[in-house]
Order: sequence, then C-alpha cells, then structure tokens
Amino acid sequence: MGAVVETEGLTKTYGRKSRGIENVDLTVEEGEVFGFLGPNGAGKTTTIRTLLNFLRPTSGRAWILGLDTRRESVRIRAGVGNLPGEFTLEDRMTGEKLLRFFARMRGERDLGYAHELVERLGADLHRPMRRLSRGNKQKIGLVQAMFHKPPLLILDEPTGGLDPLVREEFLDVIEEVRSEGRTVFYSSHVLSEVERVCDRVGIIRDGKLVDVEPTRALVNKAFRHVVLTFDAPVDPRPFRAIPGVQALKADGPRLSFTLHEEPDALVKLAAQHRLVGMEYERPSLEEVFLTYYGEGEDGGGG
Amino acid sequence: MSSVGMRRRHREKRRHAAKGRTPGGALFALITHTARMQFRSVIVWGLSLGLYSAAIVATFTTMDAGQMDRIADGLPEGMREAFSLTDLSTIEGLLDVRVFGFIFPLALTFFPILALSGAIAGAEERGTIDVLLGNPVRRWQLVVGNFVATAVSLLGILAISGLSTWATALLEDVDLTLGRTAGAFLNLWPFCLFFGGIAILCSAIFHRRSLAIAVPGFLLVGSYLIDVIGKVSEDLEGLRDYSIFSYYGSAIKDGIDWTDFGGITSCTFVLVLLTVFAFQRRDIYT
Repeated sequence: MGAVVETEGLTKTYGRKSRGIENVDLTVEEGEVFGFLGPNGAGKTTTIRTLLNFLRPTSGRAWILGLDTRRESVRIRAGVGNLPGEFTLEDRMTGEKLLRFFARMRGERDLGYAHELVERLGADLHRPMRRLSRGNKQKIGLVQAMFHKPPLLILDEPTGGLDPLVREEFLDVIEEVRSEGRTVFYSSHVLSEVERVCDRVGIIRDGKLVDVEPTRALVNKAFRHVVLTFDAPVDPRPFRAIPGVQALKADGPRLSFTLHEEPDALVKLAAQHRLVGMEYERPSLEEVFLTYYGEGEDGGGG
Repeated sequence: MSSVGMRRRHREKRRHAAKGRTPGGALFALITHTARMQFRSVIVWGLSLGLYSAAIVATFTTMDAGQMDRIADGLPEGMREAFSLTDLSTIEGLLDVRVFGFIFPLALTFFPILALSGAIAGAEERGTIDVLLGNPVRRWQLVVGNFVATAVSLLGILAISGLSTWATALLEDVDLTLGRTAGAFLNLWPFCLFFGGIAILCSAIFHRRSLAIAVPGFLLVGSYLIDVIGKVSEDLEGLRDYSIFSYYGSAIKDGIDWTDFGGITSCTFVLVLLTVFAFQRRDIYT
C-alpha cells in the first residue's frame, strides 16, 4: 500500500484576515476511508479545493495518486471522483443528460455502474435539476462522483440532504469501495457517519491539522450526556464519585451529568435504585472539538 | 522527504498514470454541451432579430423612397452622416440604418456578452464550476470550449436572422441578393465576438459576472457614441479610429472588408489568449 494523498506543509491563505489552511501535513493510504473532520469554517473545503488545484497553495506541496497537484492536476482529476460541498448543476438539464456529459468528458462509455448507483440511491435522472429537492440533487452528485469507479473519491459532506435510508445505502456503497481497494477522502462533520465508515480521521481546526488518529480513538474520546430519572430523589454523592462523571446536576429524582469513561460503574450504581428513565446521548462533534481541541477564532474557508 | 517515500511515490505515479489518461474528447464534449445549453437562446434570439429585420424588409415595399430621401435631405449633414441617412431609397441603405448600423450590433452583441460572462465568473457564482472542473478538463479547454460554442451559436442566430430577412425579401419581391445578405450578417460575427472576448476576459479577471457584463457593455455603447460623434464633428473625426464601429463598416452596402474582418477576428483571438493566461493563474472561488 502507498500514499494516495500526501501533503507537505500545505498552506493557503487568502483574505485580509489570512484565512485558509496552514502547514497541513497529511497522508492518506491506499484502500482506506479517511475521515476529514472539522467544524464549519475550519478549512476542510479549502484543503480539498487546494488538493484539486482550484486554489493555488501559498506554500507547501501536495501529491494525489503520486502526481503533483499543481503540475498534473488534469491527470489527477481523471483518477478522482469529486463531490463538492455545495453541489450545484445546470438547472435545466436532467441527471441523465448530465451523467452522459460527464461520461463523454471522461471518455467513459459504460454507464452500467452509474445506473446501478442510481437504482440503489433512488436518484431521479429524468427531471430537470431545478425540480429536484436538495437530497435528490445530492444523489445525482454522488453518482457523478462515483460512476467511473475512480481510485480516489473526494467527498465533501456527501450525506447532506439524504434521508436516513438512503444515507445507510450510501455508507454501504462506501464500504464496498473500500473492499475494492479504492480510497475515500471523506470530509464531514457528522460523527456517526465517520464512526461507521472511516478507518482514520484527521481533525482540522482553524486551518490547522490538529490530530490524525484511528476512528476508534476519536470515538472513545467522546464523552456522553447522561440523564437518569428515578422514581424518587436519590443521593447524588455516590454518582458524583464515579470516575469520569462531571458537571453533575441533581434536580429531585433527576440527575444529569457528562460521562467520560465507560458506563459500567454507572449502570451498576443506578441499578440499585428504581430507574424510570435514562438518556444516554453522544455529544455533537462540535462539542468534542470544543472539549478536546480547545476554543479559538474561526479559521479557514470551510 | 525520505528516499523511501520518493520511491514509493514514483512507483505509485507510474501505476496510476496509466489510469489517468486525459480523454481527448473533453474539449469536444464541452463544446457540444455548451452549444446544446445555448440552443434555446439561439432560437429565441434568431427569431426575434430575424422578425425585426424581416419586418423592415416587408415595409420597404410600402415606403415612398423619394419622400424618405427628401426627409433625410432636410436634416443637417452631420446628422445624416452620423446615422447613415444618406441612402434610404434602396433596401441596402434602409437595412444599413435600421438593422446593421444600430439594432443588430448593439442588441445582438449582448448574446456573446451574456453567454461568455457566465463561462467562468457566472459558473463560479452559480457554483457549477467545481463539478465541471472536477472532470479531467484543462482550464484553457473551458475557455476555448465556451468561446467556440458561443461562436457557433452566434453563427446560428445570424443564419436564422439572415434567412428570415432574405426569405422575406424573396417573398416581397425586394431586390436583395443572398450574397449581400449573407455578407452583412456574417460581418456581425467577429464584431459581436470581439465583445464576447472582452466579456470572457473580464469573467476570468474579476470573479463577478456583473462586471463581466458591464465592462463590455460600457465599451460597446461608448464605442458607438465615439463613432457617432466622430461622424458629426469633423474636428473629432480622428476619434473614430478608436471605435470598433469604424472597422465594422457597412457590409450590406459595401460588402465585407476582409482586412477589417481579419483585424477584428485577430483582436478577438488575442482576447481569448489573454483569458486563458489570466484564468490559468488565478484561484477559483465558489
């Protein structure tokens, strides 16, 4: 296996406030699904647009499929399927015509896989784009990114607008892409999706790549919001003493807190009382960022 | 970078390069796609301007040519020169005043201006350029593809308008030859594309479609006014050298001046080259 995406000190600054990305060093290995995470404005889209040579790097270099992104971007794009974050197409054209246009651009004659994807995702190819909902447009976008079976998929917020069933089907497709040995660069801010399909995650914040780690490590880092409701008020002190319990608030029979460790001790203690309600919620990725990667000013372009 | 990393990269590069061949038909696909997108506009523009031109031809038979010339003779010489009111008794003279010297160059020029201002800045504003350039298409191909498609579409508009005009002349038994009609309409082609060239250059420079429309629009009207002023005032006649209208001439009366035709075409070619140069060197924003 080798590097499919590699950057060295990749920097792109623009605007008066020098927004963008700074010294991004990143390696995505062949055959992995790499999650690229960050809050809105962290620099995810700027990184992708710089990789695709839509934006010229201020400094640093990048390679995709072993090719220099500045000098050989056309050959790179022949081997990349790209779904932009803000996917928009010509309003008057139908998905079918657009797919045929993209196929001609790529010299691709076989649309068999395209139609398989259309069927699986439930995309409507026969109505003009202007008459499609956001989710249906997104399905066309996913098909156009994947239909030519590129060695690398770059997907920026790919599930935006999709309903839960279609999202599940799409994530199945991504797992199939991985099983075929192809690579996916998956930019998202939806933690559950990333947890489901990504092997590793890179975390970008304020334009800087702050961490790269296996997905499991990130998920384990994430605390949980817990609300326990008993049939009568309970003494909160034993709960407060459980390792990992923080910010505990007692309100009559209701205890709310955050749990930063495994729930085993908590469940055992709660079982000593009559429990009438339990909420156990994963925090949003934004909260994870604020907790583990600190607060700061807004960064890059998206 | 380590030597191991370099070797690995080169190995990868060779392996993937075979898959990453650029399809040779990308430019052709782009041209046909853009031309298809413009097809409806071609019909609308062609029929609208063709009907206007045909109406002028149709009314010619009902006009008293002598009276028209007498009215024109009553106007100051400068004004007659400025608006080419020197020969209203012939169909060529009438078309020169009502069609080829005013409405067509000022109105039809906005077809390539609108089309080519949208090629880059418009695609950025609509957000479609990321999807388009996500394909293996070079930036120069995007510029040239849009320009060629618009040039072909413009030719289509001129053909529809020209045929409408000539067919009306034929039906109304007006003495207007096909060759002279075709020459007059063909003479509009480089003229309109010149402003389209300015539009696509502005589209590549400014990132804003409104500017890419406003700049060539302003230059078009300004050029027309300079030409008119140059005709009215002998003292300011030299100004006409700076107006494209003086090189556009009057093909319906005098035939195409191929030197000027080639000169305007060459200038347009330079504008397209400058656009490619500008677009290659700038960021793309959506």
